[in-house]
Amino acid sequence: MFDQKGQIRIIESFLAIAVIFSAVLVSVTFPSSPNLSKEKSLASVGTQALVQLDANGTLGNLILQHDWTSIKTALDILLPVGVSFNVTVYDDAGSVMNSELVQNSNLLGREAVSVQHVCATQTQTVQFFTVRLQLAWNG
Amino acid sequence: MKQRKDSGQILLIAAFIMASLLLSAQIYVFEVGRIQSEIESDSLNDFMLSVQLGSAHVVTGSLANISNGGSSNTLESNLQKWVSFMGNQYLHGKSALDYTLRDAAPFSSGIWLNWGVNGFGVSSAYVNFTHRLLGRNTNVDQAFFVNTTTALLMESTNRRLSGDTRQVNVTISLWNEKEPALARQITVYYKASTNWLIPDETNNYTLQDYGNGTYKASFVATFLDESVEVSARILDYRDIHVQANATSTEV
Repeated sequence: MFDQKGQIRIIESFLAIAVIFSAVLVSVTFPSSPNLSKEKSLASVGTQALVQLDANGTLGNLILQHDWTSIKTALDILLPVGVSFNVTVYDDAGSVMNSELVQNSNLLGREAVSVQHVCATQTQTVQFFTVRLQLAWNG
Repeated sequence: MKQRKDSGQILLIAAFIMASLLLSAQIYVFEVGRIQSEIESDSLNDFMLSVQLGSAHVVTGSLANISNGGSSNTLESNLQKWVSFMGNQYLHGKSALDYTLRDAAPFSSGIWLNWGVNGFGVSSAYVNFTHRLLGRNTNVDQAFFVNTTTALLMESTNRRLSGDTRQVNVTISLWNEKEPALARQITVYYKASTNWLIPDETNNYTLQDYGNGTYKASFVATFLDESVEVSARILDYRDIHVQANATSTEV
């Protein structure tokens, strides 16, 4: 009788250990909280760059001239070192305008954030565009 | 009796673990929700900023069009397109932009063009906007105005060289929204008899740029009348046209 009680306690303690370990395992594999503050700062940096570029109508004029190289160069200067970007420009009908990739490196497989900026040209014939900027930290 | 007590221990441990898991999941969901609402709030502010910038560009472009001889309806027509475009651009909710063209004097339908004969010329547009954003967590009402103004101040002096020939100096100041501004193109005219002529190298024409929005044009021309009338037509860097006429003072 005494031996049986001991066996049950041993089994119980094993069960308890198993339950605790499984809980630890679940919490370890639980998806970690995404680093949203980092994403937030990246989105903020991207928006600031677009607003700065658009402040005197430069962005709209460059899009109008299909000068994708200058847009890439400007963003290379305005964005901090260590940030990869990819720009897509849509016209007012929602069609993609940039015939070539406007990016400084490939974002595939990276955790990227996307910011959107509406833009109007300062020209005599006003045109509207939507600029979508995808950003990711390098490394 | 003993057996029941042991089962209770296991149940307690299991309940404790489950409660911990539920609590941590709840904290995680709360934390993510809080940061997401901050992101939405930032995205809302960024969107409103880009609406203001875009609205200013639309007004400026329309003024450039009208001041260069375009239809006076251009401003209204462009604003209608802009408002319609903005209606479906906000991804986190509903955006409603509205505008009112200023009609109080000296503006008419949001536009004021005054190209005077007293050395002062102005091309200006004034539009009031209201913007309502209905987000998932936040609603924002914003009122702002856009006033784009290009103004020109001109003064001229002349002195007789010999006979009807005079040396004319024209000092031009260009302003954008009350700040000195640079000109993309300046054309100076003088009135000979009934015709307006452009001075060129045969008139020893020179244009000096002081780099601060002030320009000085000088030329030599023949004037049959005592009165020397000059005109300046300017295109600023936003392509807004402004002009003014003045009577040159003899010194």
